[in-house]
Amino acid sequence: MTTYLLTRLRQSLLTLFLVSIVVFAGIRALPGDPALALAGEERSPEALAAIRASYGLDDNVLIQYGRFIGHAVTGDLGTSSRTGLPVADAITAALPVTLELAALSLLLAVVVGIGAGVVAAVRRGRPEEWLANAIALFGLSVPTFWLGIVLVLTFAIAVPVFAASGYVPFGTDPLDNLRRMVLPSIVLGSGLAAVVMRQTRAAMLDSLSADYIRTARSKGLSRRAVIGRHALRNSLVTVVTVLGLQLGHLISGAVVTEQIFVLPGFGKLTIDAVFTRDYATLQGVVLCTSAAYILINLLVDVLYSVIDPRIRLGGAR
Amino acid sequence: MALMSGCTSLQTSATEVGGVRMTDGRPVRDGGTLTIALNSDPDKLDPTLAQTLVGRTVFSSLCEKLYDIDQHGTVVPQLAAALPVTSADGRTVTIAVRKGLTFSDGTALDAPAVVTSLLRHRDLPGSARGTELAPLRTAEATGPYTVELTLKQPYVPLTGVLADRSGMVMSPAALKKYGKNFTNHPSCVGPFRFVERVGGDRIVLAKDPHYYDADRVHLDQVVYKPIPDGNVRLANLRSGDIQIGDQMGPVDVRSALTEPELQLFTSPSLGYQGIGLNVGNVKGLGAEPGRIDTPLARDVRVREAFELSLDRELINKVVYQGMYEPACGPVSPQSAIAPGIPPARCPGRDVERAQRLLREAGVAIPVRMELKVSTTPESSRFGQVVQAMAKEAGFEVTLRPTEYATLLEETDAGNYSAFTSGWSGRLDPDGNIASFLRTRGAMNAYGLSDPDIDRLVERGRTEADPAERARIYTELTRRVRAEHTLIYLYRQKNYVVATTSVAGVRVYGDGLVRIKSAGYTR
Repeated sequence: MTTYLLTRLRQSLLTLFLVSIVVFAGIRALPGDPALALAGEERSPEALAAIRASYGLDDNVLIQYGRFIGHAVTGDLGTSSRTGLPVADAITAALPVTLELAALSLLLAVVVGIGAGVVAAVRRGRPEEWLANAIALFGLSVPTFWLGIVLVLTFAIAVPVFAASGYVPFGTDPLDNLRRMVLPSIVLGSGLAAVVMRQTRAAMLDSLSADYIRTARSKGLSRRAVIGRHALRNSLVTVVTVLGLQLGHLISGAVVTEQIFVLPGFGKLTIDAVFTRDYATLQGVVLCTSAAYILINLLVDVLYSVIDPRIRLGGAR
Repeated sequence: MALMSGCTSLQTSATEVGGVRMTDGRPVRDGGTLTIALNSDPDKLDPTLAQTLVGRTVFSSLCEKLYDIDQHGTVVPQLAAALPVTSADGRTVTIAVRKGLTFSDGTALDAPAVVTSLLRHRDLPGSARGTELAPLRTAEATGPYTVELTLKQPYVPLTGVLADRSGMVMSPAALKKYGKNFTNHPSCVGPFRFVERVGGDRIVLAKDPHYYDADRVHLDQVVYKPIPDGNVRLANLRSGDIQIGDQMGPVDVRSALTEPELQLFTSPSLGYQGIGLNVGNVKGLGAEPGRIDTPLARDVRVREAFELSLDRELINKVVYQGMYEPACGPVSPQSAIAPGIPPARCPGRDVERAQRLLREAGVAIPVRMELKVSTTPESSRFGQVVQAMAKEAGFEVTLRPTEYATLLEETDAGNYSAFTSGWSGRLDPDGNIASFLRTRGAMNAYGLSDPDIDRLVERGRTEADPAERARIYTELTRRVRAEHTLIYLYRQKNYVVATTSVAGVRVYGDGLVRIKSAGYTR
């Protein structure tokens, strides 16, 4: 296990290094001069030249990359060209928002998705399955932006139970935090819940028709034990794989959700940085997101062995 | 109908100037936090480096200026004790500074502080104020509260310039302490002082106890939140999560007027919007204009035909719900200095004449051209209407939606034939004209070069007599219009939507939301 983890860690660092090159080059391939984006309406040649000089935009690309990576390894991600605030601060402020949003959405997706998936599989051919399928189809097809606006109009304006926007840290005011996070979590989690539901249903149907289930039933185990301990547990391996893959979508989906609910998370930070050609912020955000992706993949791999002890990682036994 | 009924019910407590609503005089109580939604995140909170209009709105609470404007667009003293006194030769300007004022960090405002700020605005690398303060040769404190400015040449727009960010005075103590990092600890004289900023999320200001007029400031706190999407801004106004929505679009304003809990403030803007045609920008901004061999660039008759194919009234009606104003010159008719052409005198659409002009020019019909528009839905609608109108006269317009930063880059580089060109407007007409229309001007993306225009721009900047200045700008507008290079089409209006629980908000022609005297109603 340790050897495996060390190997994976080495691979992860290499991946991160490659990602930094791709990100750096990709951002610079974008059309639109950052000095111009920054100067905006009031651009005089002198002001543009001064902006370029102060952010080192005139330097050779290799020098710029060296400077970026040199600072990045010490945890210094530079300062935002637009606001003048340190990028690391912006990321530290945005991280808890997106993490909470992702965690709540994930929780919703897991509880609702797995629950509905199990019901749909167990009650195959009955109205419950039809209903679960219809809801999943809705969750998959409805555009995030539309769902967000409809939920705001319904539950923040017509019946003002939840807030339409903004973020209050959980530690400051837990109730207000939840009042603001419920709607965004539903919006972000609905698509994932639908995917989880369909995967759970399919995996459960497979499991339920497997020999070991017949054996379990014939041993006289209760229905609850057969479904919960045997069928569901075996189905979860597939579901966890899908969840791991979908987590990436959760982060990218957060971009739209955070715009609708004005949540100061990673998504909003990214969009703002793209439109203002804020290289430093964009590099920092993408690098951190990539690191998160790599970490999630690692965790998913480790989780496999916990859920299904038959799966062993690495050569060491 | 909704608009009319909305307006009627709103005007009872309003102070009206020229049929617009700039404030609401209901009495307010002390205390409370006001949340204002801006349409984007402001850039640096440093008056020397700041570039954005939303930034100016935040500064209106944070940093007062030597001069300000009132609801009529007239310049009035703010941190200065009186209007500036200019010597007979126009080269020396004396400014009396108000006594007894204190910066938010507790230090005193005096003449040396004003000098420090003015020189920083002019000289700091990357300063966005450098160009407008370039005519300033020296600034000296000739007394504890007297500043004397020496100019390289007479420069009439100076007062207007000092009524904007160039006139903001920063605490020298804070500048010394924080240096480049002043943006994260701004300290000026203003009704509110800086508390914190979370990039992309909020800027928090609190009532400043050091402020000279603190008794008239009612709110405890102000929070500025960037909410770029108009729909989302409106939804938040409706839910009460925010109390003021800045820069609302016509569609959202229409929708807001049906809500009894919302009220509208509006003022005419000093800027303009139109279509810029490339007639000589081949090497980029600031370079010598060259020759572009297209019918549009080559022949003024083709450009005139294009302008004649457009119906300003109809564009306003179809794209902007009739809530903006047709325009045909660089200077707003609302400008207190040398007012421009009122919309009623703008030329109408004349397709027959346009077709005749194209025939005379002997060009192949349809005349093909590409129009770069920005990626907003409003801009797309504008492009489509222009496309349809121009088609009837014999133009085949292809629309090229281009994201803002890319649009700036391509038009500045001269890589375009036509684009939607706009400007938020400045108090002094020179601010709407000089950079755009002068040969090799800093923002002359059109490659326009005309000795008459250059001469009139120069005369406009140095002429002290207001009546003569007005004549110069009228003549200049006529010359610019005859070129059909920058086709002025409409003027936006400043629309600010607020909940009815808030009063005392002021929205003037410069488009800033002033909340010094705002508060929650009793």
